Amino acid sequence: MSINTNSNGYVMAFAIGVCVVMSSLLALTATALKPAQDAAAEADRQKNVMIAAGVVAAEDVLSVAEVQKRFGERVQEVVVDTRSGQVVDGKSAADVAALNKAAVKEAPADKAASTRYRVVAKTKSADGKIESIILPISGKGLWSTIYGYLALDGDLTHVRGVTFYKHGETPGLGGECENPTWCAQWKGKSILDAQQKLVGIGVKKGKVDPAIPAEKAHKVDGLSGATITSNGITKFVLADLQVFDSYLTALRKGS
Amino acid sequence: MTATTTPPVAKAGLFGKDELKVVKDPLWDNNPIAFQVLGICSALAVTTRLDKALVMGIGITFVTAIANVLISCLRNFIPNKIRIIVQLVVVSSVVIVFDQILRAYMFDLSKQLSVFVGLIITNCIVMGRLEAYAMGNPPWRSFLDGIGNGLGYMWILAVVGAVREVLGSGKLLNMQLVPQALYDAGYVNNGLMVLAPGAFLLLGIIVWVQRAISGYVEK
Repeated sequence: MSINTNSNGYVMAFAIGVCVVMSSLLALTATALKPAQDAAAEADRQKNVMIAAGVVAAEDVLSVAEVQKRFGERVQEVVVDTRSGQVVDGKSAADVAALNKAAVKEAPADKAASTRYRVVAKTKSADGKIESIILPISGKGLWSTIYGYLALDGDLTHVRGVTFYKHGETPGLGGECENPTWCAQWKGKSILDAQQKLVGIGVKKGKVDPAIPAEKAHKVDGLSGATITSNGITKFVLADLQVFDSYLTALRKGS
Repeated sequence: MTATTTPPVAKAGLFGKDELKVVKDPLWDNNPIAFQVLGICSALAVTTRLDKALVMGIGITFVTAIANVLISCLRNFIPNKIRIIVQLVVVSSVVIVFDQILRAYMFDLSKQLSVFVGLIITNCIVMGRLEAYAMGNPPWRSFLDGIGNGLGYMWILAVVGAVREVLGSGKLLNMQLVPQALYDAGYVNNGLMVLAPGAFLLLGIIVWVQRAISGYVEK
């Protein structure tokens, strides 16, 4: 064998060959593993709904099957029309994309139309009362869209728990928003002020001063080194709560 | 081209003396962390818990072994001009495959390890073994060399991870190890251990002990 492995033609051919072989290998792996990955991501989402609701703890190690079982037992998902604040009967989470598409067609100029219908999860206590309402929240941090869940207590005023489960923030800085210790501070904060006006939950720059009542009730400690992530969270939590306000108000009146 | 290297392997069998040495050397005498001081960054970042350390160790072992075999098979065909790039292509592909597998079957851990799985690509151990060993040795031995170096990295990570988890959070593999009675009596977890400086101290101690026992002398 006497191929000149240093000739330009050979180098080019070799480089192309290696790239083609390796990329087909990657494409094959990605396609083959896609169903398992989607199932794992969906189980992670369901687990986060349950973490926010306080059904499971963040450090619990659960298999995909266990998560699905507990989710099926404890959590009901309903589709809410955020414009009217009413539950859309007979529709499930799978229909939301189609419903929103129809809403956009109906009102193309309305920016909020593409997210008019949203999935809200509920858990009930043993006596049938609503134990928590889990709202999906999402919005821009610094680098990425952050996805999370905000669970409210049965009184629809106090936070029961919060999780941020999907984001592309800097690990150790903005990425700390998924830290269970940080999320634990949200518990018991109030989204309404004394006049029952919606104020949301704010992420403060620095530490919350417990001597100031307004701060103690509505603010949590900031994430150090992650001001933009913190501000983003404050903003989109309030925005999403406003979107769900009609639904929550209707629920409060009903109960 | 391979005529000079294949016969001894065939004679010695799959696990001859030389082959065993290839696996054992990096475990102790030529340990990638304690002796060569490679791969320190990831050793600091992923060792807050034992399960993270183990998965990271398995990752490195998997990547070094597979990449070593691939490069070793190709070693006589790789043009010298672009050999580092070719090594990188192979390493990154294997790392992405590992990352995809983690995402499918160990989603929680994959989320916690986040960027560090991707950063295996830049781990000096992987590139170091490719360049120093796989480019000049037949596939089987390169495979063993990859396994040996991976395991050499893994056991040190596991020791650091275990000590940090026990002292830092009172748990081992997520099971409570320090009894509640001790906490009630005023015991507190050592916060230093969950931070990077704790890993620095432990690694330093391990390197010191390992070198004292193996009799390493700075040349």
